[in-house]
Amino acid sequence: MTALVTMRVAGFVRGGRALAPLIAVLVELGVIYGGGASPAAVAYGYSAAALFPVLAWLTKLLLDTEPDVQRRLARLAVGPRREATAGVLTAVLLALVVCVAAMVAPWLFHGIDTRVDLGAGLALGVLAHLLAVPAAVAVGALASRAVTGSVRMGVTVLVVASVLVVVLGLSGSVAPWLVPPVMATARVLSGKDLPQLGTLVLLAGWAAGWCVAAFAGYGWLRRARA
Amino acid sequence: MRFDGVWFRYGRRADWTLREVDATAEPGATVVVLGRNGAGKSTLLQLAAGVLRPARGVISGRPETIGWVPERFPADQPFTAGDYLRRMARVRAVADPHAVDRWLERLLLTEHIDTRLADLSKGTAQKVGLAQALLLPPGLLVLDEPWEGLDAVARTLIPEIVAEVTEAGGTVLVSDHRGEITALPGAIHWTVSEHGVHAEAPTAPTDSDEVIVEVAVRRSEATQAVAELRAAGHRVLRIQNPEVRRAHSPIEPTPDREAQQTERGSR
Repeated sequence: MTALVTMRVAGFVRGGRALAPLIAVLVELGVIYGGGASPAAVAYGYSAAALFPVLAWLTKLLLDTEPDVQRRLARLAVGPRREATAGVLTAVLLALVVCVAAMVAPWLFHGIDTRVDLGAGLALGVLAHLLAVPAAVAVGALASRAVTGSVRMGVTVLVVASVLVVVLGLSGSVAPWLVPPVMATARVLSGKDLPQLGTLVLLAGWAAGWCVAAFAGYGWLRRARA
Repeated sequence: MRFDGVWFRYGRRADWTLREVDATAEPGATVVVLGRNGAGKSTLLQLAAGVLRPARGVISGRPETIGWVPERFPADQPFTAGDYLRRMARVRAVADPHAVDRWLERLLLTEHIDTRLADLSKGTAQKVGLAQALLLPPGLLVLDEPWEGLDAVARTLIPEIVAEVTEAGGTVLVSDHRGEITALPGAIHWTVSEHGVHAEAPTAPTDSDEVIVEVAVRRSEATQAVAELRAAGHRVLRIQNPEVRRAHSPIEPTPDREAQQTERGSR
């Protein structure tokens, strides 16, 4: 599986398709941190929420880079389950790299206010990004060509899911549990006081439950779709 | 390997591509899958390889190691031929460290090691596809139109490889719409038509009632001669072409003014 992950990372990076989401990440970071320094928890909470659609897009691009026939060759070589898992792992790996870059970047242009709860803010920032990564990867995987079959359907799934994450994630939403708690996490982190442990456990449980359902759906859909 | 009442369609609302397929391929057998364009040959082969899953029915007894040579090699990948094969060897957990080099050499790909996949000619890319399928000795080798785009020298390699796989107890499924089938003596024919598959025992003459006749023809008439011999029901076994050889082999062959045809006729 490591060999397949390495091959896919190499294929994606060398193919040059990573460039567009990379530019999107830079623009987002510029928007978030351009306005001056803010406390770590607040900044990272928004950064994680803003990165969500980009990470989902990155995942779709990554999974769609490999030609269909090559994906089938990989499926034959390592088995359907490991092939699908390798794709998800590759996406998680790249998403984590982007998150690390997004968390380091504000330090370069003084985007973090170091006077307010720095340690806790950093820890909460890491948590916010860790909650966003698997959910974003799940959305991207569900939008990938292997599942959706056509470009139009894939883009529709990606855009609708990303919009729903924001719309259903707003406070007062009718069905917030339908989407991962990306917006809820950002809200909690931007509150006046640091969040309670119970709140964080609830958010983590919500995110985990949502991801389990989404990845189970992906696995089920990929069973018959090579 | 056995197909039991296998049905397949691409999507729920699509028409059935294959209906009620029952067929068996024994270990050591060569099966040539015949049929017009769009009949479902490629679908049948992908079902056999396990790339596609039947909508109904079961395919059982599939060997563990499967080599699949797709109809079109996916050349749209940012790797060189050598890099691709080495990566595929790692993905397939090939233990033999010389497997890649051996197949590069045997399929005359050595000079293309550092060529990007996208820059390879169709035939050379097809050979890379063949090499990746053979990195592990396959228990089932599925060849989808393997002759497509190959030059005369490479063409002769296919029957050799098929024979090696079947001699080792493997099963080979190969589709063919160009009549190259003559190079695979003793093959069972599966004809895909009207969404079904009909199996036929080997129709080719056995070795005992054949003799080998070596024929030399003018280079300019070689293609026509081969076509005429095949049309007359003879099996063309080998085409020696010094120019083709020279282009692909590091060893300089003895110059030859005429392309030689080796012909085995049943008379």
